[in-house]
Amino acid sequence: MSITVELTYDMSQALGTRRFEVEGAATAADIVRLTRARFGERAAEFERLTRVAAVSVNGVLVTHGRGLRTKVADGDRVMFVKASAGG
Amino acid sequence: MIRGYAGRVLDVDLAARTFEFGPLDQDTARLYLGGKGYGTRLLYDMTPAGIDPLGPANPLIFATGPLNGSIAPQSNRFAVVCKSPLTGAIGNAACGGSFAYGLKRAGVDVLIVRNQSPSPIRLEIDGDRSHVAFIDASDLWGKGTGETQEILGRKKHHAVVGPAGEHLVLFAGIVSNERIAARTGVGAVMGSKRLKAITAGGSRRLEMDDPQAFKKYTKWAGAMFRRHPVLGDRLKRVGTSGIVSTTNPRNILPTRNFKYGHHPDALNVSGEFMADHALTGVKSSCIHCPVLCGRDVEIEGVGRVKGPEYETVALLGTNLDVPDLTRVSEWNHLADELGMDTISLGAVLGFAMELQERGMLDAGVRFGDPAGVADLIKDIAYRKGLGNDLADGVRRMSEKYGGRPFAMHVKGLELSAYDPRGSYAQGVEYATSNRGGCHVQGASMYMESTGPLTIDPHSLNLKADLPVVMQNLACAINSMVLCIFTTYGMAPRFIHELSPYSRTHRALTAIFEHSGPLLRLAMGAKVAPILWFEKWLTYITGERFTSGHLQEIGARIFNLERMYNLREGLTAADDSLPDRILHEPTFPGMTSGHPLHLLLPRYYALRGWDRHGVPTARTLKRLQVKV
Repeated sequence: MSITVELTYDMSQALGTRRFEVEGAATAADIVRLTRARFGERAAEFERLTRVAAVSVNGVLVTHGRGLRTKVADGDRVMFVKASAGG
Repeated sequence: MIRGYAGRVLDVDLAARTFEFGPLDQDTARLYLGGKGYGTRLLYDMTPAGIDPLGPANPLIFATGPLNGSIAPQSNRFAVVCKSPLTGAIGNAACGGSFAYGLKRAGVDVLIVRNQSPSPIRLEIDGDRSHVAFIDASDLWGKGTGETQEILGRKKHHAVVGPAGEHLVLFAGIVSNERIAARTGVGAVMGSKRLKAITAGGSRRLEMDDPQAFKKYTKWAGAMFRRHPVLGDRLKRVGTSGIVSTTNPRNILPTRNFKYGHHPDALNVSGEFMADHALTGVKSSCIHCPVLCGRDVEIEGVGRVKGPEYETVALLGTNLDVPDLTRVSEWNHLADELGMDTISLGAVLGFAMELQERGMLDAGVRFGDPAGVADLIKDIAYRKGLGNDLADGVRRMSEKYGGRPFAMHVKGLELSAYDPRGSYAQGVEYATSNRGGCHVQGASMYMESTGPLTIDPHSLNLKADLPVVMQNLACAINSMVLCIFTTYGMAPRFIHELSPYSRTHRALTAIFEHSGPLLRLAMGAKVAPILWFEKWLTYITGERFTSGHLQEIGARIFNLERMYNLREGLTAADDSLPDRILHEPTFPGMTSGHPLHLLLPRYYALRGWDRHGVPTARTLKRLQVKV
């Protein structure tokens, strides 16, 4: 089992993938760190794309709980979220 | 006469082929503004309980408001009010396009269409001559909404129905340009009158109390809109379907008839994907609106068509497990031409697919498979075969074929594309909405699930308070008549630029979440016009409008709608949500579904209703609601 990370559209365009699997992460902060690592030297691009993005774990925004200290476990789905409007 | 109104109500009798221009009632305008407020007051007073929504006794009321005809951004919309054939309750829908502008230029605030014509007919309203022409429309009957408007002339301002309205599909809409008054079956009522189209025009200008102040302020507001991250940027760039990028990761995107709230391939129907792969660069808007949230897409095999909105990509896309922009655009175009609400359409198709999956119906359509969907959409519009049943909506389908626990509607109106299990206040709003399961009768989800500063959607804090305030505001906005998207401007730019992990963001969220009494106090204050629509109303009408005034007017309209529904036999039992939403958990830690039973009593109390959901005599007196 592993944790599935799903990216925003802009992030997926930058990395050439929409999702990837992560093993060994314990918190949402680990997921952010591992995702940042995938951007390698393009750290500025990562910062730009995630500057106002939050993270959800299984659909629940971490900012409504323990923030980036939120624990994650195998089988979880972690997604980057941008605020939006419409409908 | 209060400024901002033309001062005329046009009353048309299709059976007698007569018309009469009468005066607008100023007291009603003061109490209900215009739009759906004025329309609801008229409907309540004109009709007894129990009329057949598709019979001659159901009037079709088109109403504008004091902002219509001005150059205020997002302000050229009209409301349609009647008894809904889909729900049996109050029916109303709002629409952009250009018809509101045409009506106001004709010097008509409100158009009442009574009775039924024995044969297809269309109306041409010439405001300058104060004349209405009744014109045979046999040549237009059966034509699509786009083709009809082409024939009538694109430079004029029309409201038309397509074949779905003609065949009394219970979720048929009324179309103006590329926009549609979609919900509650107002198009079926127009079709029942054999009224194919209405064209309105003239050279009347809107008279304002303080045109200089209005002009100066609108210039400032326009600039603010252009700089705003949502109104000036995101909606222009990715349209409303950009919100897929928010609802999917927050688990509230309808997937497989609301069984799930997340689809792994949802980005294929996102606004960003659309912008990269299908946009022609041509954007569209309602008349005088700078937001340009509409867009054209080029789809292989379909051509250049209107790009689907969020509700459509969700309900016809992920909800059917077909996250395919080409197919969704094709079905959206088909639904527009036929004149149908894509929300109800997507919901009824999703319901049919679940019946198919469970072996309860041979619907010929399956989740994840686009085969047969286009043909079924046409069959619905023309009421052929099984399409005849689907044309009656989800509630009636569930009564005939079973499946009530997963029939996704409230009061008979199919749910919009925000799963309330991840948006508790929105769930309260759906349950209590007078027209049924609709998201634009308040839009609380923006404050808890989609906006830049959202309260915890799974706590009970503010979940009864927020819907009351938002529903009141939406009632007022739909009576000015302004686009509900204007409320997105209420979150200032700096909030959009905050990191969600920043101290400021966390502090603001905490304050917001515990602001119940304060929120109601602030919104109810009659201090001064602050927001742009309060100032526009004040400059145009010469009367003072503050947040408190709008909350009061909105509450008045909401309670009158409630009284209409109670008169029609609805009860507190109708303030509910589908069993799937109430009992099936979708989030970790949820032991059941939406906790509506914990929130409704407080909601009723805040409304000034008794425990049966009936407005008390004191509430009605305080709000000056005469029933």
